[in-house]
Amino acid sequence: MRRGAIVRVVVIALLAAGAATAVALFIPWLPPVQSKEGERIDFVFWVVVAICIAVFAVVAAVTLYSVITFRVRPDDDSDGPPVHGHTGLEITWTAIPAVLVTIIAVLSAVALAENGDLKSNRLKVDVTARQFAWSFKYPQYGGFETTELRLEENRQVELNLRALDVIHSFWVPEFRQKQDAVPGIVTHLPITPTKVGTDTLICTELCGLGHALMRAKVIVMRPADFEQWARAQQRKGAQAGAG
Amino acid sequence: MAAHAEAHHGPPIAHQSSRVDAPTLGMLLFIASEIMLFGSFFTIYFFARVVAGPDQWPPPPFHLPVFVAGINTAILLTSSFTMHWALQAIKRGNRAGMQAGLVLTLALGLTFLLTQIREYSRVGFSPQDGAFGSTFYGLTGLHGAHVFVGLTILTFATIRAFRGHFTAAEHRGVEISGIYWHFVDVMWIVVYTTVYIL
Amino acid sequence: MTEVLDQTPQAQAAPPKTGWRRWLLGPGFVRAAWMAPLFFGIGFLIVIGLRSIAHYEPLLNWLIVVTVAGLVTAPLGFLAGIGAFDYWVYYALGYPTRPEDHSGHGARSWKDYFRVNTDHKVIGVQYVVTTIFFFLAGGLMAMIFRAELAKPGMQFLDNQEYNGLISVHASLMIFLFVIPAFAGLANFVIPLMIGAPDMAFPRLNALSFWLLPIAGIIMLSSLAVPGGAFGAGWTGYAPLSVVGTNGNVWFNMGVQWAGASSIMTALNFLVTIITMRAPGMTFWRMPLLVWANFTTSLLVVLATPFIAGSQFFVMFDRLIKTNFFNFHESGYVLGYQHIFWFYSHPAVYIMMLPGFGIASEVISVFSRKPIFGYRLMALSLCAILVLGFSVWAHHMFVSGMANWLRVPMMVTTLLIAVPTGIKVFSWLATTWEGRIHLATPMLFALGFVSMFVIGGLSGIMLGAVPIDIHVSDTYFVVAHIHYVLLGGSLFTIFAGIYYWFPKMTGRMYNERLGKLHFWLTFIGFNLTFFPMHIIGVQGMPRRVSDYDPQFGTWNMIISISSFFLGASFIVFLYNAITSWIRGPLAGANPWHAMTLEWQVSSPPPIFNFDEIPQIVGGPYEYGVPGARHAVFNGAREHELEEARSP
Ligand code: HEA
Ligand code: HEA
Ligand code: CUA
Ligand SMILES: [Cu+2]
Repeated sequence: MRRGAIVRVVVIALLAAGAATAVALFIPWLPPVQSKEGERIDFVFWVVVAICIAVFAVVAAVTLYSVITFRVRPDDDSDGPPVHGHTGLEITWTAIPAVLVTIIAVLSAVALAENGDLKSNRLKVDVTARQFAWSFKYPQYGGFETTELRLEENRQVELNLRALDVIHSFWVPEFRQKQDAVPGIVTHLPITPTKVGTDTLICTELCGLGHALMRAKVIVMRPADFEQWARAQQRKGAQAGAG
Repeated sequence: MAAHAEAHHGPPIAHQSSRVDAPTLGMLLFIASEIMLFGSFFTIYFFARVVAGPDQWPPPPFHLPVFVAGINTAILLTSSFTMHWALQAIKRGNRAGMQAGLVLTLALGLTFLLTQIREYSRVGFSPQDGAFGSTFYGLTGLHGAHVFVGLTILTFATIRAFRGHFTAAEHRGVEISGIYWHFVDVMWIVVYTTVYIL
Repeated sequence: MTEVLDQTPQAQAAPPKTGWRRWLLGPGFVRAAWMAPLFFGIGFLIVIGLRSIAHYEPLLNWLIVVTVAGLVTAPLGFLAGIGAFDYWVYYALGYPTRPEDHSGHGARSWKDYFRVNTDHKVIGVQYVVTTIFFFLAGGLMAMIFRAELAKPGMQFLDNQEYNGLISVHASLMIFLFVIPAFAGLANFVIPLMIGAPDMAFPRLNALSFWLLPIAGIIMLSSLAVPGGAFGAGWTGYAPLSVVGTNGNVWFNMGVQWAGASSIMTALNFLVTIITMRAPGMTFWRMPLLVWANFTTSLLVVLATPFIAGSQFFVMFDRLIKTNFFNFHESGYVLGYQHIFWFYSHPAVYIMMLPGFGIASEVISVFSRKPIFGYRLMALSLCAILVLGFSVWAHHMFVSGMANWLRVPMMVTTLLIAVPTGIKVFSWLATTWEGRIHLATPMLFALGFVSMFVIGGLSGIMLGAVPIDIHVSDTYFVVAHIHYVLLGGSLFTIFAGIYYWFPKMTGRMYNERLGKLHFWLTFIGFNLTFFPMHIIGVQGMPRRVSDYDPQFGTWNMIISISSFFLGASFIVFLYNAITSWIRGPLAGANPWHAMTLEWQVSSPPPIFNFDEIPQIVGGPYEYGVPGARHAVFNGAREHELEEARSP
C-alpha cells in the first residue's frame, strides 16, 4: 500500500512536471536574447524555472493524489489516523528547499557579479529621462545628443542614467537589463549587445500620464558603422557649436 | 426569570492568563508602535543627512539653538520626576501629592511646548529650507505632537484626580498616562541627541 | 435570553434624554450628520488660524483646508457623532461610567449592525460585509480597466483615468479588503477560540472598525477629486505622488485611517491573546489561526507606522512644500521606497499569515486528522515574522539603491521559501491518509495551497536578482501579485467565510452553489492570471494603458477570462444573501470541529460562554480516542486548575 501510493504520486508528479515543462517549452517565453548579460540572466531563469517546476509537480501530485484517494462520502464521520508529525520528514522538507534556494542564490550572485564587470574599452552613454522622453549623450564623442540609442555590437556600453523630474526605468527586453533612472542620483547599467538590429527601449516605472508611450528606438550597429555614425554626429555637433 | 437575568446581564469574568495588566500591555504595545513611527522619521532624517546630505550639517548658514533646547530638555526631564512623584503619592494614598505632581507635570510639559514653539519662530529656518529644515521640523514636530497628546492625556488624568477619582488601590489612570509621559520624555532625549548634538 | 438583555440598566451617567433631544443628541447617524460638518468647520478654523499666525500666504489654501477639515476633522466628527468616543469622554472628564455598561453590546436586530457595537461578533460581521463591499468596488474597477486593456490602443479611458483606476483598485483590495477581511474573521473567531467573552478592549475594537468605512470612502472619493484620482499606483512612489494629481492626498490620508484601524485591531488581538486565554490554553494549545494572528499582529504593530511616516512625508511635500523627497533641495528620493517597503513587504505577510491560519483550521477539520507538525507550523510563522522584516529591498533591486544591499536581501528573500515550504508540506501531509471531505471551505483551502505555491514560486523567481532585473515592473509581477493575493489571500478569506458562515449567521450556505462558486473562480482565475506570466516575460510592462500590438491576443484572452472571473462572484453573493435569509439552520457544530468556537451555539451567545471552558488538550486531536480540547464541566474546573501548568 505505502509503496503503491508513492509510485502513484511519482507518476502523477511526472505527468504534472511534463505538462508544466510543455508549457515552459512550447510557449515562447523569453524574447530572443541579444546581450551577453542577457545570456547569463537566461541561464539563471531556466535553472530556477526547472526547480520551480519540480517543486510544483510534487505539490500538485500530492494534492491530487490525496484528494482522489482519501476522499470520503459526506456522511462518513470516521476520523483519519492521529498522526501528529514525523521528525524525519520534517527535517527533509526543511533541508531540501534550503539546499535548492542556496543553489539559486549562488547562481544568481555569480551571474550578478559577472554582469557587473566593467570593461576598460567600454562605450559610455549618458541617458537622460524626463516626462516622457529619452535622450542620449555620447561624452566620448564630443558629447553630441540623440533621441535614439545607438550601440556597437559586442562592445560593452555603460549607461549612466539620470532623471529630471520623476523616476523612470530603462528596459530593453532583448537585453534583459533594467535600471531605474532616479532624480537626484546617477545610476549605472552595463550592457554588451551581441546582435545587430533594432529594438525598443521601454520605460517601466510608472512616471505619469505618458508612461505607456515613453519609448525610444535602440539600434545596435556593426563596429565600423557605429564609428562612422558617431564621428559624423560629432562633426555635426561641432559645426553647430561653431556656427 | 430574574435569576436568569442575573446570570446573563454581564459576561463571565474572563480568565486572566497572564500576570500583565491588559491596559498596561496595550499601552506598551502602542508605545512600540510609536517608536516605529519615530523610526520612520529618523530613517528619513539619516537618509537626508548621511546619504544625500550636504558636507556640512546643519548646512550653513543655519544654526541650531543647542543651549535653549538643552534647557528645555532639562525641563522635560524634570516633568518625568514630578510624574513619578504623582504616582508614588497616590500609591501611598496621598491625594494632594498626586494632584500637585500632576499639575506640576502639566505646567512643565506646557512650558516645554511653548518654548519649542518660540524656538520655531526664532530658529531662522522653516520646514521649506532644504531637506535639513524638513527633517528638523519633522522630528521635533512629531515629538511636539506627542507632547501635545501626552498633555491631553495628563489633563484628563488631572481632571479626574481633582474630581476624586484614583485611590491607593486603583490608580491605573495615573500609572498608564505616566508610562506614556515617560516615553515622550525618553524619546525627546533621543531626538535631542540626534538632532542637536550629533 | 434576548428579552432579558433589554433590561440592562441604563448607565447612570447621562441623564436619560427623551424625545427629540435623544434623537438629535444621542449617539447615532443623526448626531453624526451634524457633528461631521461642525468638525469640518473646526478644522477650517484651525487651518485659517494657524496660517494667519504664521503669516502664510494665501490664507485660504483650499487643498489644505479640504485635507485637514475634510479628511481629518470631519471624519473625527463623524466618529464622535455615531458615539465611538462617548464612553471615553465620560471617563476622561471624570463623569461616572459603568465599566459593565453593555448597552452597546450584541445585536438584537439588523439595526444593531449599523451602530457602534462593542460585541466582537457583531464587529466581525460588520468587517466582513464592509470589506466584501470594497472588494466588489475594487473588482468592478478591474473590470473597467480590463475592458480598456482588451485591445491595444486607447478605447474609452484616458491615461489619468486608467492610472487612477488601477491605483484605487489595488488600494481598495489591499487596505480595505484583504487586510481588514482577515481582521474581521479573526475578530469573530479569536475570542471564541481562546475561550474569552470578548476582546480585551471592546470599545477600541468598535472604533477600529469604524475607521474603515472612512478610509474606504476617502479612497473611493478620490475618483471624484478635480484633476483625478491618485494615479501613482498603490505604491505611490515619490516624487510622482508629490507632483501628481491632488487625488494623491486622498491616498495619503486613506492609508492613515486604514493603518490606524489595523494597528488598533492588532494591539487588541495581542492583548487579548496574551491576557485572556481560558485556563489550560497554553501557547502550545492555541489553534494555529490564533498563532497566525498573533504573529500578524506583531507585524502590524511594528511595521504599519512606517507607511504612516512615508505618507506623511509625501503629503507634507505637497501641502507645505517640505523637501523630504525634493531632490533639488537635497531630499532623498529613494528614502521613500525604503520606508514604504519596510512596511509593505511585511504587509504582504500581514496579508498572508492569517490565511495560513485559516487554511490550517480548514485542512485539519476536513481531513479529519491532527495538523501535521503543529509546533513547526507555529514556529515557521515566527520565522516568517522575523525574516519578513529583513527583505524589503527586494522590491528595489533595480531602483538604484546601494548595490551591496542586493545580495543579502536576495538571500533573506529566498530563505523565506523554507518556512513557507514547511507549511505547505505540512498541509499536504495533513491530508495524507485523511478522510477528506471536499466541502466548499476545503476546496478553497486546497485551491489556495496549489495556487499560492505558484505565486510563491514566481516570488522566488523575482527574488533571484538577475531574473528580477528582467521581469521587474512587468506583467510577470502582476501575475505574482494575483497568484499570492487572489490565489492566496482571497481563497483563504473565502475558505474562512464559508467555514464560519454557519457560526456567524446560524444558517448553512448552499453547498452546491458554494462548489460552483469555487470552480468558476478557480478556472477564471487561472485563465486570467496565468497568461500574465507569459506576456510579462515577453516584454509587457505593468501600469500601461496602451501596449505593443504583439500582446493583443493574450490581453483579449485575459480580459474575457476576467469578466468570467468577475461573474463568478455573483454566485457567491446570491448564495450568501439567500442563505443568510432562509438557509437551513446549521446547528452548533456542523463540521464536527474541536476548536472552541464550535462548542457553543450558532450564532454564539452574547457573551460567548456561560462558563469559561477548561482547556485540556490540543485543538486538532481528530482520531485520538477520547481526546478533548476543552471541557465545560464547572465541577472539574478546580481539579484541573491545580493540574494546570503555571
Ligand atoms: C500575499 C502577498 C504576497 C506574498 C505572500 C508574497 C510572497 C513572496 N514574494 Fe511577493 N509581492 C507581492 C505580494 C506577495 N508576495 C506584491 C503585492 C508585490 C508587488 C508590489 C508592487 O506593486 O510592486 C510583490 C512583489 C514581489 C517582488 C518584487 C518584484 C518587483 O517589483 O520587481 C519580489 C522580489 O523578490 C517578491 C518575492 C516574493 C517572495 C520570495 C515571496 C515568498 O514569501 C514566497 C514563498 C513561498 C514559496 C516559495 C512557495 C512554497 C514553498 C515551497 C513549496 C518550498 C519549496 C520551494 C523552493 C525550493 C523554491 N514579491
Ligand atoms: C487582493 C488583491 C487583488 C485582487 C483580489 C485583485 C483582483 C483583480 N485584479 Fe488586481 N491588482 C492588485 C490586487 C488585486 N487585484 C494589485 C496590488 C495590483 C497592482 C496595482 C499597481 O500597479 O499599483 C493590481 C493590478 C492589476 C492589474 C495590472 C494593472 C496594471 O499594471 O496596469 C490588472 C490587470 O489586469 C488587474 C486585474 C485584476 C482582476 C481582473 C481582478 C479580478 O479578480 C476582480 C474580480 C472581482 C470582481 C469583478 C468584482 C465582483 C463581481 C461582481 C460585483 C459581479 C458583477 C461583475 C461583472 C459581471 C463583471 N489587477
Ligand atoms: Cu517614464 Cu514611465
Ligand atoms: Cu516583498
